[in-house]
Amino acid sequence: MALALEWRKIRRTGIWPAFIGGSLLAAAVPVINMAFRWENYVGQESSPLSVLLLANWPVMAMFNLFLVLAGACALYHLEYADGAIGHMRALPLWEGGLFFGKLSLIAFLCLPALAVEAAAVAFCSAHWFGHTDLLSLLQSFGFSFVMLLPSLLCSLLAAEIFKNIWTALGVGVICIFMAGMLPEKGLLFSLFPFSLPLRIWTQLSAESARCLLEAAAVESGLLAAAELLLLKIRRWFL
Amino acid sequence: MTPIIETTELTKSYDGFFAVSDLNLHIPQGVVYGFLGPNGAGKSTTMKMLLGLTRPTSGSFTIDGMQYPKERLPILKKVASLIEAPAFYGNLTGEENLEIIRRILDLPRSAVSEALEITGLSPYKGRTVKKYSLGMKQRLGLAQALIGKPPILLLDEPTNGLDPAGIHEIRELIRSLPQRYACTVLVCSHLLAEVERMAGWVGILNHGRLLFEGTLEQLREDAAAQGYPTDNLEDTFLALINQDNQRGGR
Repeated sequence: MALALEWRKIRRTGIWPAFIGGSLLAAAVPVINMAFRWENYVGQESSPLSVLLLANWPVMAMFNLFLVLAGACALYHLEYADGAIGHMRALPLWEGGLFFGKLSLIAFLCLPALAVEAAAVAFCSAHWFGHTDLLSLLQSFGFSFVMLLPSLLCSLLAAEIFKNIWTALGVGVICIFMAGMLPEKGLLFSLFPFSLPLRIWTQLSAESARCLLEAAAVESGLLAAAELLLLKIRRWFL
Repeated sequence: MTPIIETTELTKSYDGFFAVSDLNLHIPQGVVYGFLGPNGAGKSTTMKMLLGLTRPTSGSFTIDGMQYPKERLPILKKVASLIEAPAFYGNLTGEENLEIIRRILDLPRSAVSEALEITGLSPYKGRTVKKYSLGMKQRLGLAQALIGKPPILLLDEPTNGLDPAGIHEIRELIRSLPQRYACTVLVCSHLLAEVERMAGWVGILNHGRLLFEGTLEQLREDAAAQGYPTDNLEDTFLALINQDNQRGGR
């Protein structure tokens, strides 16, 4: 119900076309990279998927992070712009439903976006390397989807806390650039919610991947709990 | 008459400033209750407390026998509101905005067209709300409140932005609600002549305190007994407020 409501609210906003457009841009990264620099990548010892992701995923992941952040900010901007959230709060509705409805909607919009990106990687793999390991591709993009969830929750929390869309966007952009600057090695840095989506499944050992999946699940749980706490605190200070 | 809304010593203070002070309201079922007061008297704050949008500092209230905050959601199922300004999704049409509320309230599909019809918005139902005039937005706010025929309606300045014909139309609509939907209406307005025409009961608030509560006839009798003018509600209201201000307000 919450997802269906949120889906209705985004009519004429261009949010879902923006997700498709953003994913097409992200998908263009490996295709253009391979089209112009294929000789740098073909013939390497690693698997084609590993080569392609190592060469392109950091940029693709940045696109995904910006999409998630922009989506979260746009969804809450719809609520704040004309005061709709005030009316929602006066309806017999659990307020957390708004947050988790938006979470489900963006997570849902990320699925076709990641699918388009996966299709582009599969195309590159088949076209320049001669074959595609579909199972590894699915595992890799499934892993990336889970890694996106903590940053999605963070973006939604920022968008909910700051009524001004530019403040929320600013906070998110700072976090995204911080994630890009943090060193890849070191457990603490890699657990930063906006760093997780930069991790590449094929570059991780099974143990590391499992640890990161668990960390993403725990972070998501904690951020969801933070939202529930925020609702309680806000009610107290009304 | 049994009050459907009853507040007991309801108080809201902000850092020592009392927006509402020891308010004891008794709003009978099935009446239009005019809630009057100058700017900053505490009318909107009271309405927000009744909707759970502002937390009372002290005191309590019951709505239809239900206690806040224990029964907040059941209370909200009974109460609809238009507070301060109409709130909507500007990217959606009037019809789509109402459809969202219909789904949340789990109302039949016909509720949307009924609400559009009753507020005169049917010809504009397909227009996005950001293209609505101020009056049309106000009508949409009313439609959002009236959808589902709520037993209790809280309206803050419902005729804001309407032209004289619109004001007349909405006034007649509000006046008819107790008979049409067995609805109790609490209405705030600065247009005292309008309140006089639509309300049977009034509550007068100044500096967060209730100066008077009762029927318009009782107000006239009380005012006459105290030597205040009783020709119209505006004169009586101004005399009451001035007298209270001269006494120091609180």
